[in-house]
Amino acid sequence: MSQVSPVAARIAALQQAGSAMALLEATQELASCADASAAPVLVEVLGFNNPGAAVAAVEGLISLGTAAVEALLQLDPENYGARAWAVRALAGIGDVRGLELLLDALGSDVVASVRRAAAKGLGQLQLSELPPAQQQDIQRQCLGALLAATSDGEWVVRYAVAVGLELLAAGLPAGSPERQLAQQGLLTLQEATDGTPPVVQRRAKLALSRLELQ
Amino acid sequence: MADADASPPQAGEPISEQEALRRLRQSEDSSQQYYGAWWLGRMRSQHPEAVPLLQQALRQRRPRDSGAGVEENAVARNAARALGKLAPAAQAAIPDLLDTLQDADDGLREAAARALGQLAAKAAIEALCEKLASGPAVAGAQQTNSPRLVEPCEALLEALGDIGVNEPRVLAVVKPFLAHERPVIRSAAARTLLQLSGEARWGELLVDLLDHPQLQVRRAALMDLGAAGWRPGYKAIAATLAENSLKLMALRGLVEQGNGDPGDEALLACMDALL
Repeated sequence: MSQVSPVAARIAALQQAGSAMALLEATQELASCADASAAPVLVEVLGFNNPGAAVAAVEGLISLGTAAVEALLQLDPENYGARAWAVRALAGIGDVRGLELLLDALGSDVVASVRRAAAKGLGQLQLSELPPAQQQDIQRQCLGALLAATSDGEWVVRYAVAVGLELLAAGLPAGSPERQLAQQGLLTLQEATDGTPPVVQRRAKLALSRLELQ
Repeated sequence: MADADASPPQAGEPISEQEALRRLRQSEDSSQQYYGAWWLGRMRSQHPEAVPLLQQALRQRRPRDSGAGVEENAVARNAARALGKLAPAAQAAIPDLLDTLQDADDGLREAAARALGQLAAKAAIEALCEKLASGPAVAGAQQTNSPRLVEPCEALLEALGDIGVNEPRVLAVVKPFLAHERPVIRSAAARTLLQLSGEARWGELLVDLLDHPQLQVRRAALMDLGAAGWRPGYKAIAATLAENSLKLMALRGLVEQGNGDPGDEALLACMDALL
C-alpha cells in the first residue's frame, strides 16, 4: 500500500492535470480536503488563468480560514490575475493580517475586480478577539478607505463599497460618529446621479434600510 | 454580446473635452481623431458639437487600405461606437448610421448596427431585417479568407432586440439563427427573441448555453441573459464557470432591465456573494 497521504496524492494529481477540466476537478478535490498543507498549492492555482479552478481554490482557501493567510500573503504582487483571487480569499477569510493588503488594494489597485473584493473584505474583518482600542483603530482605517472609494470610477467597486459600508456599520455602536459617517457614505451612493447606475443606488438604499431596523 | 470598449492606440495623458473635440475636428492626423472619437463616447460627452463632429467622422470612411496605419475607417468605427454611447442625444445621426450599415467594411457595419440598437432606432428595423433575411446559410456563412461571417450577425440580431419591436417579420428573420452552427450566434438569437417576446423558452435556451464547454460561449450567454434581464436565470448565472465580473454585469442587467420574481433583495444578495 502507498504511504502517500491523501492530500499529497491530490496535490500530485493537480500538478499533473493536463487540461483545464482536469485542473478544475483536481482543484475541487484538493480544496475539499480541508488540510492546511494544501494552501500553497491552492494559492498557485490562482495564477493559472482558469476561472473555474480559481473559484474552487478560493473556496478551499476560505474554508481553511486563518491557516491559509500566510500562503496568501506570500503571493507575487506582479501577478494581477492571481492577486485578484487572493484578495477575494483574504476578504472572505476576514483575518486582520490581510488589512494592509486590502487597504492597499482598494486604494490603488488598477484592476477593478481587486478593488471590488477588497471593499467587501474591509467590511468583514473579524475583530472580536482584539482589544477594543485596536478594534476601533482598524474600523477607522476601514471606514476611511471605504468612504474614499465611494467615488471610485467603476460601478462595481461602488457597489462593493455599499456592501462593505453596511457590514462595517452593523458592527459599530448606533449613534457613534463612525456609524454616522458610514451611513452618510451610503446616502451619497444612494443619491448619486453622476453616472451611478440604479443597481448601486438600490444596494445602498437596502443597506440604509437594514441599518435603520437594527 | 456587447463589444468591449476599444482601448485607444495611445493611452497618454488624460485630456479635456475641448481637447477631444479639437482632435476629432482636425484632419491631419487620423490617430488623433480616433482617440478623440473614443474619448467623447467613453465620457458620454454632452457637448453640442460632439454629435455633429462624430457624424462627420462617420462620413469620412472609405474603401479599406490595410497598409495605412490608423485608417479613416477605424475613426469611423469609433465614431459609430461613440454615437451609440451618446444615445439618446445622437438621434440626429440615425440616417448616417443607416448609410454606414450598407458599407463594404463589415467591421463598420457591425459598429453601425450596435449603435442603431443603442439608439433604439425603429427606422433601422427594415434594413437590419434585410441584412439577415438570407439566413444562416448566406448572411451567416463564414467569409472565405476570414473567420468573420458575411454579415455581422451577432450585432444585427442584438440590435433588433435592443430596438424591441415585436413584429412577426422580425421574429421570422431572427428564428432561423437559433440553428446557426456557432453557439454565440444562437445565443444572440435567443437573447433577441427573449427581449422581444419575454417567452421563458428563450431564457432557458440561454441558461443551457451557460454550461457550454467553451468559456467564450458561456460569457456570451451571460451577457445575453443580462441584456434581456431574465430574472429566473439568476442562480444559473451565479453558478456559471466564468469570471465573477461578468456574472455581476449579468446580474446587474437582471436588476435593472428585468422585473417580477425573484425580487431585488434576492438578486442583490446573489451579487454580494460574488464580490
